[in-house]
Amino acid sequence: MTTAPTVHPPAAPDPGEESAAGTLARWHRTGGLVAPVITALLAFLVGGLVVLATGSNPIDVYKGIWNGAGLEWFYDVGSNQVGLPFSDATVWFPWDTSSASAENLQQTLILWTTLVLTGLAVAFAFRCGLFNIGGQGQYFVGAYFAIWVGSSFAGMNSALHITLAVVVAALAGAAWAGIAGILKATTGAHEVISTIMLNWIAYYTGLYLFGQGGPLQNDLQPFSPTSNEVVDGARLPVFWGDPLLQGLHMGMFLAFAALVAFWIIINRTTLGYEVRAVGFSPDAARYGGISVARNYFLAMAISGVFAGMAGAVDMLGWRFSIGFSDIQSSSIGFVGIAVALLGRNTALGVGLAALVFAALGNGTAARNIPPEVFDIPEQAGNLSLTIQALVLLFIGADIVILYLWAKTGQKIGVGRRSPL
Amino acid sequence: MSVGAATVEREGISTDTVARVLAWGGGGLGVLAFWLALPPVTARNVVVPLMVGGLGVIAGAAALRLGVGRRVGMLAISVAVLGALLGWLATRSNIESLEQVFVWSVLLAATLRAATPLACAALGGIFSERSGVVNIGLEGMLLMGAFFGFLGADKLGSWWWGLICGVLAGACLAAVHAFVSIHLRADQIVSGTAVNFLALGITGYFFIEVYTDQGTSDVDFTPTFTIPWLHKVDFFGAAIGDMNVLIWITLALVVISHIAIFHTSIGLRLRSVGEHPKAADTLGISVYGVRYAAVILSGALAGLGGVYLTNGITHSFSENLSAGRGFIALAAVIFGRWRPYGAFAACLIFGFTEALALRLPGAYGEDAAWTTLFRALPYVVTLVVVAGVVGRSIPPAADGKPYVKQ
Amino acid sequence: MSESPVVLEMKGITKQFPGVLANDDVDFDLRHGEVHALLGENGAGKSTLMSVLYGLYHQDEGEIVVHGERVRMDSPKDAIGRGIGMVHQHFMLIPVMTVAENIVLAEEPTRAGVFLDLAAARRSVEETARRFNFAIDPEARIENISVGQQQRVEILKALYRKADILILDEPTAVLTPQEAKELFAILRGLVADGMSIIFISHKLNEVLEIADRITVLRRGKKIETLPAAGATEAGLASLMVGREVLLRVEKGPAQPGEPLLEVDELGVLDDRELPAVRGVTFQVRSGEIVGIAGVDGNGQTELVEALTGLRGVESGRFSVAGRDVTHAGTHRILDAGLGHIPEDRHRRGLVLDFTLAENIALHDFDRAPNSRFGWLRPGRLVARARELLAEFDVRGGGPETLAKSLSGGNQQKVVVAREVGNDPKVLVAAQPTRGLDVGAIEFVHRRLVEERDQGRAVLLVSLELEEVLSLSDRILVMYEGELVAEFGPEVTEEECGIAMLGGGQEEASAA
Repeated sequence: MTTAPTVHPPAAPDPGEESAAGTLARWHRTGGLVAPVITALLAFLVGGLVVLATGSNPIDVYKGIWNGAGLEWFYDVGSNQVGLPFSDATVWFPWDTSSASAENLQQTLILWTTLVLTGLAVAFAFRCGLFNIGGQGQYFVGAYFAIWVGSSFAGMNSALHITLAVVVAALAGAAWAGIAGILKATTGAHEVISTIMLNWIAYYTGLYLFGQGGPLQNDLQPFSPTSNEVVDGARLPVFWGDPLLQGLHMGMFLAFAALVAFWIIINRTTLGYEVRAVGFSPDAARYGGISVARNYFLAMAISGVFAGMAGAVDMLGWRFSIGFSDIQSSSIGFVGIAVALLGRNTALGVGLAALVFAALGNGTAARNIPPEVFDIPEQAGNLSLTIQALVLLFIGADIVILYLWAKTGQKIGVGRRSPL
Repeated sequence: MSVGAATVEREGISTDTVARVLAWGGGGLGVLAFWLALPPVTARNVVVPLMVGGLGVIAGAAALRLGVGRRVGMLAISVAVLGALLGWLATRSNIESLEQVFVWSVLLAATLRAATPLACAALGGIFSERSGVVNIGLEGMLLMGAFFGFLGADKLGSWWWGLICGVLAGACLAAVHAFVSIHLRADQIVSGTAVNFLALGITGYFFIEVYTDQGTSDVDFTPTFTIPWLHKVDFFGAAIGDMNVLIWITLALVVISHIAIFHTSIGLRLRSVGEHPKAADTLGISVYGVRYAAVILSGALAGLGGVYLTNGITHSFSENLSAGRGFIALAAVIFGRWRPYGAFAACLIFGFTEALALRLPGAYGEDAAWTTLFRALPYVVTLVVVAGVVGRSIPPAADGKPYVKQ
Repeated sequence: MSESPVVLEMKGITKQFPGVLANDDVDFDLRHGEVHALLGENGAGKSTLMSVLYGLYHQDEGEIVVHGERVRMDSPKDAIGRGIGMVHQHFMLIPVMTVAENIVLAEEPTRAGVFLDLAAARRSVEETARRFNFAIDPEARIENISVGQQQRVEILKALYRKADILILDEPTAVLTPQEAKELFAILRGLVADGMSIIFISHKLNEVLEIADRITVLRRGKKIETLPAAGATEAGLASLMVGREVLLRVEKGPAQPGEPLLEVDELGVLDDRELPAVRGVTFQVRSGEIVGIAGVDGNGQTELVEALTGLRGVESGRFSVAGRDVTHAGTHRILDAGLGHIPEDRHRRGLVLDFTLAENIALHDFDRAPNSRFGWLRPGRLVARARELLAEFDVRGGGPETLAKSLSGGNQQKVVVAREVGNDPKVLVAAQPTRGLDVGAIEFVHRRLVEERDQGRAVLLVSLELEEVLSLSDRILVMYEGELVAEFGPEVTEEECGIAMLGGGQEEASAA
């Protein structure tokens, strides 16, 4: 009995084969900052065409979005006074911190905070070659735990209470994502399908928990399918704007810290080295003694930490409760995917891309769109969705950009061996 | 001259076969454990499901010891345990509710209804993956078919037009995915995900544009196909006597797909492109052409499933109506080993869980919050299937890898 | 023979790829009923030339004349239509399909134009096989038949399509010496039947045996076309390379010491959970090179994977420098002092998207001084890389260059630099020179001998029998998962070949 021989000698290096992480990394290295900018511009251009097709003026629309996002605040320079923290004194400041556009900007930054975190959740997994579409479910799970901790323990010290809620939410997100990571590591189950399934399971679990008669439903209002409210002590302090009108909360600094942490982990730790190696070439990593399974799990778990924190930051920062309709309309995890891909899965990129999408998302929010631009405000939301989709599409087709790049004479992919 | 696999052949039946039979038996006993606690048998003694399930576990364990693959063995044992558990739960529930939920003929009809959109999308997934292109965008194509099928039937006056519009919409979206994945050689999963977002945006946009003030009314929906003589037989009358035309079409498509893939020359070429595109290329087969055709066909089929969702079942449209069905269909493809009959069987299983979950609130009351939890069941089952089955099934060899034509 | 009509002419063929001029104004012609060999080292342009002929590429300049007619080959369909068939080096066969399905693909017999007629396919295949005296089972799946039989299926594919010009690309790369002889017998039979054959190879002895005429290519240019009668190996070699070439590695006698790698009754399963390595026992001592010869698929790959921790061990043990590492995992095996130059540097040896510095640290990035408590120190990585890259004369970039930017030879140098730089006690080299040009091959061979002389134990596993014979101090032959023979360095290729096929097999005619 002969053992089955291989069909042919292991094939010559195939120029077509590359991991997803490798493709994206290649684009990052050859395209630098230019490629994402081109992608975003292209997406907005085509989005504008869609707007044109339905009879509205794209210029007006984009201007409306820009102002709605509060970005005009930056060039509205004058002479104003701003209060110093922890005192009653005021000091001269070039920008008016309480204008209407300031309020819009605050809202944009609130959105930015959450998007950074959900974006990092996708980006970290991607560096390990995993496509984490489960950000939405991980966000939900983090949110549920944050609400639960935040609405219990009423007398606890504020700083302690907030920390506890955030940590619990992060761990919950890690566990939820970790399920997909373990499945991938042990059975090879594709993380796209498993994370999407986990999304829906988290979704229905939430409807169960906070629905009529559910275990975590509001104690005071038995006919309203929402959760309890986060107690005052557990709410994130607001440092800019009016707390009663959803001012910008301390969560923003958490997002900054997360960006820094992401960069440090990926570039300056042995864990990051392993994650990158596995992302580029699991075979080479294995050969080097790196445990691919362990890294799949860790990458997913850490991604879950970011997404769980996103849930906590939203709950403790401005939502303060979660209900049926919130769960049904939430899609922040998915925007995180576009953020990560536009940002090339790097810390700086995610930070900037989150700003783009936060501006887009807030600028198209119903309350901000002047009626002459979009007669039905919800349409703006769909435009935003369409632009996101286009960004994804164009990023996926990096070949287009590289092809154009090559045609202008630049050298790409130096050292590609010819298939002789 | 062919060299066979390395099982030890003995006189009579080989151990391998015995192990297989035991594993299947274990799973079967699990299903039986649950069924016995349900109408019409409605065994009330908890010992019945536990014992039968226990036997199933023993059979599965024996299969494992006899050398059946670890995953098959574990799957058999899990099914046995799950069956025992569900059977136990059923014995705890009151009989009236059980009898309200488990009217088997109605359940079967509901299962078929739920399985049809899944089956259409799954068939599409099979064609696409057999040619070597992973199609995560089935969800989006389903959604496009759902909306544009509805829109077409409404604005153009007949359900035929709705069908055509829906199928075309799915095919167009698929063409985008095809172009980006095949010609531009993008990562197929990123492209599929983008296509899903695109579908969400487009259908949501046009839905609001067209329907916010009007609401949906008086649309010509796909008719049911009534078989009068079948109604004489109680069970079959209720089960399949009044099925929608599209369900019959789907059943026919399952058979046609099987024949097309495995018994025609086109099917042979399709499979060759998915297994070894270079080999096919050197024989003059157009790899790009075959892949384009397969992906666009998959969009058309998924679109058909979507048309059934709106025009056949819900008779209305809402945002993100597809609710993850495209991904469940993908799991069905894997579970069915990229074969139409197998995938259809998987769709029936998933459809059953969905049908069951929808019937529960009616029997147990709206206040029973746990019935909402049951709606997560199809997704849990998919997760288990994907985890338990993937390692052992082998996709077409070139699945997911872009083909670089020199 | 030299008076028979010309059936094929390629005039002035030029083909450019990004960065490489693969064919530079090459002329080539083929006469009826001859075997014309195309000789050159890796990268000389032989496969490209034939791919142009077969319609896989389109030439930038030049023309092709088949049977007196100028033709344009846009795709393999055109080539097939003109009677040209090609047997590729990497087989174009679909493993999960049967022999018959593979042969009739794209020209299937059908009923009613749509339905596959597999019975007719089987009959056609049997008929063609009978005509040319092959024995093949049409219903067998490709993944279950031997490599030699797979090659016959490839030839049958061409014959089924009525080819009268046959191109064979490195056909003996996967065959034992015996199977190669059988192939030659088949080829002579085909020639007697009116076929004209183009035979691509880089193996001098075979080319001299089978060919009537030889064309030598070097770096994309045609150097010379000469009759095989009267040519010598040395002469051809210098035409191929352009200078005097060392055909055998010069090395002193071995000074073996303590055994550093001891393998005891090792059993390993393959991916299909069938035994691939059965009860293998051997030792490699310090200061010697032990070579394992064998045809691909007899368990060598699984053996190497087990020794390096990439595959689990089913039974038996092995130890490195006295430490039992049978179930230790890659990391601990490397720590114990084993270095591994892997079979496929692109998949296993290097992370192409990492810099050279990161690649060089692949084994010890998590140890001081490269990192402490999980904190990486890139500066240290770069400094160490700079040292090693200079010592091993790696060209094409520095520590911050991406590995994918280097040529194959330099990439292999990086791999060797890293492995040797870790000061291993045992060095396992699997297919270390595949795909490299002669210069790089010489470098690797010399280096392996140097390491041996430094007292390391070197285990060489290679499919190139010549390489094993010229480098090893002791030669073990692996067949169907067992070590069936052990030879000293003076053994001949024939004796080895016999052992590689299980020993004692008489010469079979076209089987």
